[in-house]
Amino acid sequence: MKKFSIILITLFVLVLLSIGGAQEKPKITIWAWDPNFNIPIMQEAAQRYKKINPNVDFDIVSMAKADVEQKLNTVLASGVKTNLPEIVLIEDYNAQKYLTSYPGAFADLTNHFNYKEFAPYKVQLMTVKGRVYGVPFDSGVTGWFYRRDYFKQAGLDPAKLQNITWEKFIEIGRTLKQKTGKYMISGDPFDGGLMRILLHSAGSWYFDKDGNITISNNEVLKEAVKLYKTLRDSGISKEVSGWNEWVASFNSGEVASVITGVWIIGSIKAAKDQSGKWGVLPIPRLNVPGAVNASNLGGSSWYVLQNSRYRDVAIDFLKQIYAKDVDFYQKILIERGAVGTWLPAQRGSAYTAADPFFGNQKVFTYFSTWMKKVPAINFGLYTYEADAAIMGVMPDVYNGKLTIDEALKKAEEQLKNTIGK
Amino acid sequence: MKITYKRYLDLWGWLFVIFALFLLTLFLLYPIFYSLYLSTFTTRGIVQTFVGFGNYLRLIKDSNFILALKNTLIILIIQVPIMLFLALILAVILNNQKIKFNGFFRTAIFLPAVTSLVAYTVLFKMMFTTDGLINRFLISLGLISKPIPWLLDPFWAKVTLIFALTWRWTGYNMIFYLAGLQNIPTEIYEAAEIDGANKSVQFFKITIPLLKPIIIFTSIMSTIGTLQLFDEPMNLAAGVVTGSSVGPGNSLLTPSVYIYNICFKYAPNFGYASAVSYILVLIVAILSFIQLRTVGERE
Amino acid sequence: MKRLKTSTIFTYLFLIIVSFISLFPFIWMIIGTTNKSVDILRGKFTFGNNLLENFQNLLASYNLGKILINSLKISLIVTVGALLISSLAAYGFEIYASNIREKIYSIILGTLMIPFAALMVPLFKLMTSFNLIDSHWGVILPMLSSVFLIFFFRQNFKMYPKEIIMAARVDGANELQIFFSIVFPSMRSAYATGAIWAFMNSWNSYLWPLVILQSEEKKTMTLLISTLASGYTPDFGVIMTAVVIATLPMIIVFFTLQNYFIQSILGSMKQ
Repeated sequence: MKKFSIILITLFVLVLLSIGGAQEKPKITIWAWDPNFNIPIMQEAAQRYKKINPNVDFDIVSMAKADVEQKLNTVLASGVKTNLPEIVLIEDYNAQKYLTSYPGAFADLTNHFNYKEFAPYKVQLMTVKGRVYGVPFDSGVTGWFYRRDYFKQAGLDPAKLQNITWEKFIEIGRTLKQKTGKYMISGDPFDGGLMRILLHSAGSWYFDKDGNITISNNEVLKEAVKLYKTLRDSGISKEVSGWNEWVASFNSGEVASVITGVWIIGSIKAAKDQSGKWGVLPIPRLNVPGAVNASNLGGSSWYVLQNSRYRDVAIDFLKQIYAKDVDFYQKILIERGAVGTWLPAQRGSAYTAADPFFGNQKVFTYFSTWMKKVPAINFGLYTYEADAAIMGVMPDVYNGKLTIDEALKKAEEQLKNTIGK
Repeated sequence: MKITYKRYLDLWGWLFVIFALFLLTLFLLYPIFYSLYLSTFTTRGIVQTFVGFGNYLRLIKDSNFILALKNTLIILIIQVPIMLFLALILAVILNNQKIKFNGFFRTAIFLPAVTSLVAYTVLFKMMFTTDGLINRFLISLGLISKPIPWLLDPFWAKVTLIFALTWRWTGYNMIFYLAGLQNIPTEIYEAAEIDGANKSVQFFKITIPLLKPIIIFTSIMSTIGTLQLFDEPMNLAAGVVTGSSVGPGNSLLTPSVYIYNICFKYAPNFGYASAVSYILVLIVAILSFIQLRTVGERE
Repeated sequence: MKRLKTSTIFTYLFLIIVSFISLFPFIWMIIGTTNKSVDILRGKFTFGNNLLENFQNLLASYNLGKILINSLKISLIVTVGALLISSLAAYGFEIYASNIREKIYSIILGTLMIPFAALMVPLFKLMTSFNLIDSHWGVILPMLSSVFLIFFFRQNFKMYPKEIIMAARVDGANELQIFFSIVFPSMRSAYATGAIWAFMNSWNSYLWPLVILQSEEKKTMTLLISTLASGYTPDFGVIMTAVVIATLPMIIVFFTLQNYFIQSILGSMKQ
């Protein structure tokens, strides 16, 4: 009897404890990609928040970018309101798509943050009908990373290249190839990255601000496609297919320039033996009215799911770190090369430091300046569809089967099919 | 209560199939009917508009879908027969107990089928670059003078895909043939040998006819697999900065990848995606039916 | 007395070439596990000494043991379950053929042609209502009734001499006995093949586990590899290590089972 009652009491106590422990710790679940960039940054943010509010747990789930998008779509499309993550990372090009496809799924943060403190072009893309739904995160502000030593060898003076057009770029590219034997740049002729940089730098996109397709009657796009063809025909661009080959081309020292978003810094710095040999310049501009020597490629932001369990804790977390902690932004800049879009952070020390890898150039002050110049445009809902349509006709442009006008018309038809207009 | 023997057997029939049927109805039939229903809507996320047959009509004029079908049919006509024939030959060779290191060869040839998709597509992408292993090898053998732009050209990208598919799935089909060959008694071959039939006559007059059910099986499964081709095009074309088209000029676009893109990469239109799926089903059904009929599966 | 026929030489040559082509990527992967990521990308084809470091990096960020067990658990349950359920069903369809069941069979076969992407959303909704999200059973259940296996087994049962079954019935055996004591033992190669297929299919499955599983601790190996391979600067040394570890169980399963191909139906009948 005694044994029995001991068991009974133990059970009772255990039950009490488990009920008592039902006053659970809030757990913030975050879905993001990139184990070398977004994930460790979030982990750093989580650690900092725990110092402010120790009674919070974090589950930072790392997946491939395509996987996050897939899961998010599946979960939101099925309409379930349980087991939702609190915070998700969404690429800027996809923001409008998610916000308008799943109305009510994302928390309205308009009154929680002071959006004047964030870069305007980032705030714009997460705004629907005047309400803002996300917390802007990293910037894809573009730069022209160049090899100082190759330029010197070719007799090119960076000071004179601060404000050039793409035509000039091709010209000096030929000179460089002649004098050094190196390629000026590398790229995948079927990748839309450069296309987006070009369009964005001229304040244009595949769609106008009302969402109408602007492909066949878009002078900027025409210039951009022309540039793709010129680059290919000029022989100054090393053709690569896919990310790894592209990174390998500059890690191995075969190319003299990389023109893309600032997030490539991590990959450039992977070739440690090239320290001191790189520098940054403003990107070339298209020869169209309104084009600037600044643009953006990529970048993402954090969004809170309206129906997640610990939504309010998540919002507080984002506020305390991503909209308040200047030191946080310095750390992620130094460690990960993440250029935040919270403007007050740019006064911090890391943003004004000289980087020995880039010949002691204060690279981030430049990027901060350029970031402010990036035109604010509306990406619309169908960026990827448009990309696919245009890249789909590029083979015919390259082999001359179609003129650029004809190709763009065909691409527009294909796009209409994909979207269903 | 007396029941006929026929009825008794019939009941047993139901007993054997009932558990599978239950699971299938739940996890297969319900989703199918639901998505069929969904195909009558055009959706964007959870915003739905009824269109009835609209999706199907749109499909007929959809140049992306037509391109995807064309790509797939090219692969079907070229890659599948080569692969199945190769698998059959290998199975016949390795079925012979007299071959030394039998087990090793079988395992080696089967290995590609279990190699991680991510790993081998990464490797293939590396080997088939302009100055990659394959080009260097071919140039050193003097077979080509200029490097082939494998993944930078619509035609060659397809060739790379065909290589990848054959590499991956030949061993897989070989296994099925090996299993089937086990059911052919050796006495038949011995008798044929005595009658004076040589190896190739034996192959065509004995092996192939007796293996018919398995050959049909692999043929239909390969047809279905090719029309549903997803993994390889998806991964071979992936890993770019922005992931624009599926292969140079969308040369690697297949219907399944298109469906996937419609659901998860583009503005999510599950309704339209469902419609595309069902047209695909129709096409596969027709092709399978043709195959069954021409080889005469009727009992 | 050894006669080396030219046909034999060619046969072996053919086998060696095909095996080499098949094995090459795997050899490259094993070499890759010992190298640094940058070297792998540069095309290094010799062994390095980075194996330990790669392994440590892998373990540092991920609970490899748990993930392996997750994959094993799912694959083993699915293999055994699917083999049983599917072969029983195939037997029912083939040996007890009836008009109704033929029609059902055709419909079921038809479902093979439906791309999975179309079914994901409704299936996901279904799983939510059963509260099976983020659970391994949510992954397992839809895989237990495999139309592919039913088709495969039925084709194999078609090749089975029905006279044996008739004879057994005359001898007084009941249907279940016939299946388990007579038919099943002589279909070893079919079951071995089926087991390989079922294990491989569930071990490598990607889309469905991706959608159903949410938390880190429930992940499977394929999801892990996908995560590792994404990102701006993938560490190929770590990826190769994970991949080789992920491929090993499959090789073990295959190598063990492929011995069963040696057994022929005639061999087991002679007993």
